[in-house]
Amino acid sequence: MSETMVHIVDDDAAMRDSLAFLLSAEGLASRLYEGGAALLARVGELEPGCVITDIRMPGMNGMELISQLRQQGVAHPIIVLTGHADVPLAVQAMKAGVVDFLEKPFDDVVLLRALRTALTQGQSEAARLSQSAEVGALAALLTKRERQVFEAIASGDSNKTAAIKLGISPRTVEIYRANVMEKMKAHTLSDLVRMSMMLNDANA
Amino acid sequence: MRAITRRLRTLTEQRPRVLTYGATALALVVVAGLWTLFRLSTPEAPLLYWLSPVVCACAILGGPGPGLVATALGLAIAWLIVPDGGGAQLAFAASGLAVSLVGYLVRRERRRDHRMDLALAEREAHLGSIYDTAPDGLIVIDEIGVIRSFSAGAERIFGWSAAETLGRNVSMLMPAPDRGSHDGYLGRYLKTGERRIIGVGRIVVGERKDGSTFPMELAIGEIRSERGRAFTGFVRDITERQAAQARLQELQAELVHMSRLTAMGEMASALAHELNQPLGAIANYLSGARRLMDRPGDNPDRIAEALEKAAAQAMRAGEIIRRLRDFLSRGEGERRVVSIQKLTQEACALALVGAKESGVRVQYNFDPAVDGVLADRLPVQQVILNLVRNALDAMDGAVRRELLVTTAHSSDGMTMVSVADTGAGVAPGTKLFEPFVSTKTDGMGVGLSISRTIVEAHGGRIWTEPNPGGGAIFRFTVPLAPVGEPVEAGP
Repeated sequence: MSETMVHIVDDDAAMRDSLAFLLSAEGLASRLYEGGAALLARVGELEPGCVITDIRMPGMNGMELISQLRQQGVAHPIIVLTGHADVPLAVQAMKAGVVDFLEKPFDDVVLLRALRTALTQGQSEAARLSQSAEVGALAALLTKRERQVFEAIASGDSNKTAAIKLGISPRTVEIYRANVMEKMKAHTLSDLVRMSMMLNDANA
Repeated sequence: MRAITRRLRTLTEQRPRVLTYGATALALVVVAGLWTLFRLSTPEAPLLYWLSPVVCACAILGGPGPGLVATALGLAIAWLIVPDGGGAQLAFAASGLAVSLVGYLVRRERRRDHRMDLALAEREAHLGSIYDTAPDGLIVIDEIGVIRSFSAGAERIFGWSAAETLGRNVSMLMPAPDRGSHDGYLGRYLKTGERRIIGVGRIVVGERKDGSTFPMELAIGEIRSERGRAFTGFVRDITERQAAQARLQELQAELVHMSRLTAMGEMASALAHELNQPLGAIANYLSGARRLMDRPGDNPDRIAEALEKAAAQAMRAGEIIRRLRDFLSRGEGERRVVSIQKLTQEACALALVGAKESGVRVQYNFDPAVDGVLADRLPVQQVILNLVRNALDAMDGAVRRELLVTTAHSSDGMTMVSVADTGAGVAPGTKLFEPFVSTKTDGMGVGLSISRTIVEAHGGRIWTEPNPGGGAIFRFTVPLAPVGEPVEAGP
């Protein structure tokens, strides 16, 4: 992975610097940008690799940056970092083609795993399709209620909102949610969101 | 037909006049008849001499009309019987006129008296009906506090009948501590003339015959007469109004809580985001450093640099928290010198609406030496209201339900307000004053934490200790007013 570059966009200098330090400790090269505009200015000469961007930033926010990048044909996998209570926004980002999102502060192991996935993604369309079939098979095992909870959660609803929508208690939603995670072999919420998108693609 | 009845009626109405004239003529004829019959005439007492008392009587009793008629009739009779004596007749006529004039004056005076009597009686009837139908109670006491009058309204409000209260001391209508002090209040007023309630009006607590208490609006007027002073009290039961007000205040307090919570929620979200930056950076630096340490090679400088940067980020996180605390301590209200007793009584009156009905015995003990405090009235009242409401909640279902509210000197030279209950008490170690900690099933855990914020913003302390007789005591302190500052009367 040494020939790839991680492009880090964050308005917070300490965050940028510390991320770069962490990645360098793992032998990953990075380039730092203090905002979306700085990254877009280099669109033509971007080294291959991936993009890590914050969502809440002054000026251009993360969502705007993502859509700009896609419009200008930048196909780099994107990882989104979110603050507290930004989950619905992160789900929206996933639907816009982001490969993963992480809540700050994040575990370095989780970040590095997400990075590796991102850096190897997009190389094998066949792998993605087979994965999609696998997810479909797993989803077929869900009960009707589990499926409803799965969809609600993956669309960015909190446990409470999902509970109100489905007319059950938040506690029950929690139990269903745990069941869904286990049956779907998902580790994080972003896994669920990604699977949900795959299923929707397959159905479409 | 109608004409006839009207005629009859006027005739009957005129009957007294007809009778008077008839009686006048009759009296004259009778006297003249008797004179003729018994030959009473002497040179010293001619007929006119006998008739003049009749003229007098007619003029005085019947007025000028009958007097004049009697004079003329007397002259005519005398002329008929003894047709001479011109001089005596002239004198008789003159005295008859004079007596008639006197009769006129007497009659006029009597009429005026009669009219005044009528007006007085009418006014009395008016006042009486006002007195009896006024929804407010009216109580008149003399200058030593003895009830002299107790209206129907007062009977309705207090449950006592007028007969039961007249002649007794008015303190029977108030709960302690006023019951014991009322004579003192009166005595002080008579001695100093300093008005605390007279002409001002105030909300106080009354006690009914059945021992229940209720908030009432009391206005007092003073009557000074030759027979000494008396005081009129107008009493209005405001239980319902106050219950509505209490509900309103509760809603307002809830609103304040909610808006504060919303603000806190927004702040928490902003704070989380802001804190996540340095925390995330710290995590990255430390994880990176640990990874470097796992690797063979010479990286001590890079590791040291990362650790230093992590420490700086920790300081930054601390700075964010300090800013938050500054923000929370902002928004102080206006501090004034206020009477802690009055402030406490008002808050308690609100908090205790309905408490008597649920069988809670309430006692107060105020130390006048620490009465003037420097405080922002409403927030401090909110603290007291919270504490008293909590105390009542704590005693819900308890066998012994006694609430004691006191003010006293605290050990650190402030005024200490204590609210003691006989409820279940507080389990040791409960972090009662932390936000979102509640021992109630439906509590939000906001009241005491806000109370603490308020008390600490005043420079005081709030704490709890077990009540030696069972239950809990909540105490807080407020700074005493500087000596010599006048205490504000409040709204």
